[in-house]
Amino acid sequence: MSRTQTVLALESSCDDTAAAVLRRQADGSTDILASIVRGQDSLHAAFGGVVPEIAARAHAEVIDLCVEQALEQAATPLGEIDAIAVTAGPGLIGGVVSGVMCAKGLAMAIGKPLYGINHLAGHALTPRLTDDVSYPYLMLLVSGGHCQFLLVLGPDSFKRLGGTIDDAPGEAFDKVARLLALPQPSGPSVERAAQAGDPARFGLPRPLLDRPGCDLSFSGLKTAVLRAREALIAAQGGLYPQDQADLSAGFQAAVADVLAEKTRRAMTLYLEVSPARPALCVAGGVAANMTIRSVLETIAAEYDTAFVAPPLALCTDNAAMIGFAALERMARYPPDDMTLSARPRWPLDTTSPALTGSGKKGAKS
Amino acid sequence: MTQGPVILAFDTSAAQCAVAVTQGEAVLAAATDDMARGQAERLLILCEGLLAEAGKSLQDLDAIGVGIGPGNFTGIRISVSAARGLALGLDIPAVGISRFDALRHGMDGACICAINAPRDQVYLQSFDETGAASPPEITDLSSLGAYDVPLIGSIGADPAYPTAVALALLAGQRYRTTTARPAPLYLRPADAAPARNAPPLILS
Repeated sequence: MSRTQTVLALESSCDDTAAAVLRRQADGSTDILASIVRGQDSLHAAFGGVVPEIAARAHAEVIDLCVEQALEQAATPLGEIDAIAVTAGPGLIGGVVSGVMCAKGLAMAIGKPLYGINHLAGHALTPRLTDDVSYPYLMLLVSGGHCQFLLVLGPDSFKRLGGTIDDAPGEAFDKVARLLALPQPSGPSVERAAQAGDPARFGLPRPLLDRPGCDLSFSGLKTAVLRAREALIAAQGGLYPQDQADLSAGFQAAVADVLAEKTRRAMTLYLEVSPARPALCVAGGVAANMTIRSVLETIAAEYDTAFVAPPLALCTDNAAMIGFAALERMARYPPDDMTLSARPRWPLDTTSPALTGSGKKGAKS
Repeated sequence: MTQGPVILAFDTSAAQCAVAVTQGEAVLAAATDDMARGQAERLLILCEGLLAEAGKSLQDLDAIGVGIGPGNFTGIRISVSAARGLALGLDIPAVGISRFDALRHGMDGACICAINAPRDQVYLQSFDETGAASPPEITDLSSLGAYDVPLIGSIGADPAYPTAVALALLAGQRYRTTTARPAPLYLRPADAAPARNAPPLILS
């Protein structure tokens, strides 16, 4: 590319409203000029999880404010923007629609191309932005809404090696925090409680380890935590802080064990493609958990593979990753037009069989 | 030569995609496509088409008018988000206007404006002779009484103007004094129940 490309990106597929400005230099390097993320934790706190309609309402009234803030922080007027990128799915459709419509309005107004980007591709390509990782690499995407192993072969070529057949680990963390009366956001509070806990006190299950392949399940683990809690409450009328700590530690250890074993299997499949510079990359908020992260680091070392965890702000939902994915696409594909649809379901790998949401509407992610 | 501000207005809060381009009091182009779904894909295509038909470009616009509901939640957000994006990109105001105001536009005197709501309910707002409005409300269709003023809208008489035309004309009157960005008028809280199970008692 002989000149710089500046892209404005929008993301609103779950409970963060985000906008970012990125610039690709003539030498191919990419700078994040601004990345704004507005969370909604306080809006959903009373409900113990993200409520889609509440999320959608919040996105609709702040997405343009985030865009303005990003442009201002980047000191980049709209006139210098070369393209608009927006998450077009998968995700909570009400939020995705607001982002897509705002992006269409912007693109039409400034007469610049529009790129609808897959949210999962944004996460999956982030190690290229932060660490210039070479294709092919192995990506474990583990967040509140997603859990899958992806073989990333190129900017638009993904092979899903496995994924959750029910809940994402982040959902399980949310549920467990609620069960144990720990505050949201659940990730840090469960991790903190677990520090003083005995992971072996409750014999919690490691679902699907007995089955071959890289698919995962977390729903049964959640239920096992519920049962253990009910037994404690029946016996003693409530939970002692030590119970909270031990259940947190037991749950976290079970998630880490399951992810570890499945990651080993995914690593074996990945190394069969003989990558020149092998890398195990993670993305998603759950990757911020230090127990899980250190287990994954150990496995990467076992396989003589680099471990790449982008900084947390680029691991969790953000718009910079959407802008980067668009920059990776722009040279290869024509832009989308004003008929761009928001898609609740949009698997990255359409050739592998669906794991969830396999009904008549097709695979979810 | 037509005079006055050039306005693009649209509404997708009902099962339709309604768009109008006006200049002053003149309607340059208007269309209402009935559709239960697909408004997000259709809206800006229709805007482009009607601007062309009106012989105007986006750069000619003085303001955007947008219907903020009440109505279909997702439909409202489709239009409000598009209006905010266009307004930011064009650096012109976007004016949010309720469908009650759109229904009443062109009427003199007292009236009640009504819009279908789900589950056999109706959104209502009454206006007195001076045009002053009561707070909008949602009520059961079955509890609707007899009124001594005209009822306009889904269960009453047709309004004087199609929705998008009324929005455009009202936006033309209001855009110089409007400061707030368009925000949806839902009139119904989000369907969300607080976490069902009470948290466990923490013992010490």
